[in-house]
Amino acid sequence: MHSREDVVIGNQAIARGLVEAGLEIAAAYPGTPSSEILPGVVYFKNMEGSRIHTEWSTNELCAFEVAFGAAAYGGARAACFMKQVGLNVAFPALMRSREKSIEGGLVIVSCDDPGPQSSQTEQDTRLIAALFGIPVFDPSSPAEAADVAYHALTWSFENKVPVIIRSTHRVSHARESVPLYHPGTRKVILKEGHVAGAGRKLGIVASGMSCSLVYDVIEELGASDEVSLYKVLKVYPVDDALGKFVDSMERVLVVEETDQVIEALIGDARKVMGRRDGTVPSAGEITYDIVRDILSRVLAGEGGSARDPFVPDGGIEEALSHVAVVPRPPKLCPGCPHRASFFAMQYLWPDAIYPGDIGCYTLGISQGAVDTCLDMGAGVTLAEGFYDAFNQDGKLVPILASIGDSTFLHACMAPLYDAVKNRKRFILVIMDNSTTAMTGMQPTPQTGITVDGTATRGVAIEDIVQGLGVNFVRVVDPYDVPAMIRTIGEAFDRLKEEPLPAVVIARRECLLLTKGAVKDAGYPADIERDCIGCKSCLKTFDCPAMSFDEASKKIRIDDSLCTNCGICYYACPVQREGKALKAAKKAGTP
Amino acid sequence: MRHEIICAGIGGRGVLLASTILIEAAIKSGLKAVASDEYGMSQRGGSVVSLVKVGDFASPFIGRENGGILLAFEESEFYKALLFLKKGGLALVNTRAAELPPSIAGLLEKREITCRLVDGDGIARQTGMFQSANMALLGFFAAFGITPFTKEVLEETIRSRVPEKFLAKNLEVFGKGFDAATKMGAAGDRRTDIV
Repeated sequence: MHSREDVVIGNQAIARGLVEAGLEIAAAYPGTPSSEILPGVVYFKNMEGSRIHTEWSTNELCAFEVAFGAAAYGGARAACFMKQVGLNVAFPALMRSREKSIEGGLVIVSCDDPGPQSSQTEQDTRLIAALFGIPVFDPSSPAEAADVAYHALTWSFENKVPVIIRSTHRVSHARESVPLYHPGTRKVILKEGHVAGAGRKLGIVASGMSCSLVYDVIEELGASDEVSLYKVLKVYPVDDALGKFVDSMERVLVVEETDQVIEALIGDARKVMGRRDGTVPSAGEITYDIVRDILSRVLAGEGGSARDPFVPDGGIEEALSHVAVVPRPPKLCPGCPHRASFFAMQYLWPDAIYPGDIGCYTLGISQGAVDTCLDMGAGVTLAEGFYDAFNQDGKLVPILASIGDSTFLHACMAPLYDAVKNRKRFILVIMDNSTTAMTGMQPTPQTGITVDGTATRGVAIEDIVQGLGVNFVRVVDPYDVPAMIRTIGEAFDRLKEEPLPAVVIARRECLLLTKGAVKDAGYPADIERDCIGCKSCLKTFDCPAMSFDEASKKIRIDDSLCTNCGICYYACPVQREGKALKAAKKAGTP
Repeated sequence: MRHEIICAGIGGRGVLLASTILIEAAIKSGLKAVASDEYGMSQRGGSVVSLVKVGDFASPFIGRENGGILLAFEESEFYKALLFLKKGGLALVNTRAAELPPSIAGLLEKREITCRLVDGDGIARQTGMFQSANMALLGFFAAFGITPFTKEVLEETIRSRVPEKFLAKNLEVFGKGFDAATKMGAAGDRRTDIV
């Protein structure tokens, strides 16, 4: 009997299942939507008094190898957590691990991001697992994720092979009541097979959150007499019962995220509808409306009983077209120190090449200071490639790469050394906010703080950069906009003198760390008063607290968002700060 | 009993806390419930939508024109979420405005949507709390007495969720929201019943 229930998100549920299954070692690199699993392990180990070693790793390969070492050779029950593109970083070790008999137990949790909502690409962990023969589960809800986690670690320990749990952001971030058991006593319910409906003609095969969506839509459409729903939980190796279910149906619709995996495993192209024949969209998240639309169309096509199809009320869009709705695309937070960094970068050379990186600082794209977003670390190596391309033509153009502090430690040390060794001339701006902000404020190696708050030795980025052989290393407060611009200018001058990259470390803490308080700067923005309506600040500064008021033809500052950082004055051509920058640029003394 | 609730607002204003309180209140009352925290890439100032479904649902997602209740913690996010509100639904909007643009007012009339404009920020500010409009709106919502979201159940859930340090002030804002609704008879004159 479970001791109590707790309302938790899917990632905490996974953590709970693992802790109850006797987890001993857990390592992770944060990445949306996986970041809450490791803190969940810390929370539940404290609740249960379990002895579990937990650590934030410097990247996913470190996390995987720590867990694998502990499991394969140390005999421990171990787990590692990452997002779907993080699994690529751990790929070399993953490939070898599947051939190896492990002494203990190993669970890899890889969280996919259909959409993608906060990744550079969609990628289906189940596809990798199925391709390379690694057992993989695809839970459909937080409560099921807790059961799957418990089962997977236990099964891995008994069978001596690694197991993958694939979650998606919709499972990881869904919230529901999950039973908590005393460690070692969880009563696992693995629900797989024919779960709903009594139809014989149309069978629907679905897994993960897609299956939960299909279940709700069948209810809404009242179609349970016409269809049968088969739920897949263990995607690889797939259960024999799936083949029998497919054989017993006239047509089969497969709904899954994000690639064709179950569809490919079934393989019967004449019978199966899904992504291959275009019934299901080939990319993007599967939403409620998409499932409702697919099911309505397929039911009508399969001669299902006549029902009123859902017809959207176009009057809503019509009414909304008369209202100015603030679009609110993803932006750096108001007062973010690195909005100032990007402002300074593009102020000097609006037409420079701006290789960017992953994380908060991808958002510099809206200020015209990020041109690329490939993968973690690529900001530096792409800059190398751009340099070579222009250098061959005998040109030295300004190339300003940017990267965050956590990403630098994750993936940039080798690329930066590569640039030093191969004599590349570009400027790298490392935006140091002392944390891993976008994924929820995990401490970086610089702080030396571990996941459970223990203080250890931190490392300074400037020491690493110097150690890699960079001569020009400057640390600047990005709120000091003139100093930032001056330093970037000096860095470019240095590139003309020596064949090495130049590094500017823009250092100021994330406002989420300081609870929104701005240190040593700022006064309430009254930029509205003198505004001439030129909108240049929107283009170069792009703060969420700013909007253009069509009635007054002036910028309006939302007081509830403004942090009084005062940096927008530099982006305003009629304010004292903006005028001074302009005058300095004209005089060639930025 | 089934409810499909949309909580819409912007990051850093307690939208997720409000939806967590709603789902926990439902579960406390012995109901099945599931919620979805949706958020975009930016931490502060970006659009945030959290969905709560009470009853026998498997997924936390709400289809277009299926939601029964819309709690909008910011006016422009209210407009975006309107696609998800069904005919005859209930919308509470945190805004300083006294009326909505004519096209929207006409739409709400046509779709028989009960809509109340609540100055949640103003109510919160009276108590010296600048970021607690979420509590004001929850208090206002409690006045509608839609099972299981009564004043008593929501208050009890807030007590178990909000840290001790902020609890008294949050409950005060919640109470003021409730009183504001009662005073203006907001819960009366409903166009349709939501149960």
